[in-house]
Amino acid sequence: MGRHNICFQLRNDLSELETLRTELERFKADADIPEKTLLEVNLILDELFTNVVSCGFRDAEEHWVKITLCREGNVLTLCVRDDGVPFNPTALHDPDTCCPMEERRIGGMGIFLIRRLTDEMTYHRTDTDNIVTLRKNLH
Amino acid sequence: MEIIEQQQNDAWIFRIDGRLDSNTAPDLETTVVKAIERGARNMVIDFESLAYISSAGLRVILKTAKDLKRLDGILVLCSMQDYVREVFEISGFDTFLPIAPTAGDAVRQVSRKPE
Repeated sequence: MGRHNICFQLRNDLSELETLRTELERFKADADIPEKTLLEVNLILDELFTNVVSCGFRDAEEHWVKITLCREGNVLTLCVRDDGVPFNPTALHDPDTCCPMEERRIGGMGIFLIRRLTDEMTYHRTDTDNIVTLRKNLH
Repeated sequence: MEIIEQQQNDAWIFRIDGRLDSNTAPDLETTVVKAIERGARNMVIDFESLAYISSAGLRVILKTAKDLKRLDGILVLCSMQDYVREVFEISGFDTFLPIAPTAGDAVRQVSRKPE
């Protein structure tokens, strides 16, 4: 069984969700991912990306969110990397200063869905970047 | 994402064509708010042509249900595809939002008014 990789970047704008979709379609074909799994993967990445775009940046600059997907055997590994403010989705509560109440509720539900659809989620912070890595076992 | 609006007696039916995510959900919210301002109380949201939904979509659906309930109205959802159904189940939204198998069932459900 081979190894399939894809890497791409999204600009910090919600319209890039369309780019996310087309990149995932490509990955689905290359890595032979079932449709339902692909939709779940789309949701996972969508929720993280939306959180980054909504809460991640204090400036009006363009930022790039780097996404990688890898299928090796029956394990799917996803990675989302951004250079926004420190944000750890694995923590139980969002930082108080992150977002207004409204958006935090969205974040809460998004993270909840991600947890239900993945087998593992880890977070690492470098000097400048948030790195979220997720593992999803395919059955 | 497109929203096709239809009325049947006092039922307002919105069919969503496309995807409901953080980018498109605000359009649905605007449409629903305007409909409520115009008097909509018995609402059906038809998901037959909806391939994908994220938490942003769930949030608009929830807000709509709450707004209608506050006005003694009702929201019924219908015709969910497998993945959309899964998201409603994982989130628990299926435990408090009525979901009908077809638009016909949904329209009947919203039109039945308790005395």
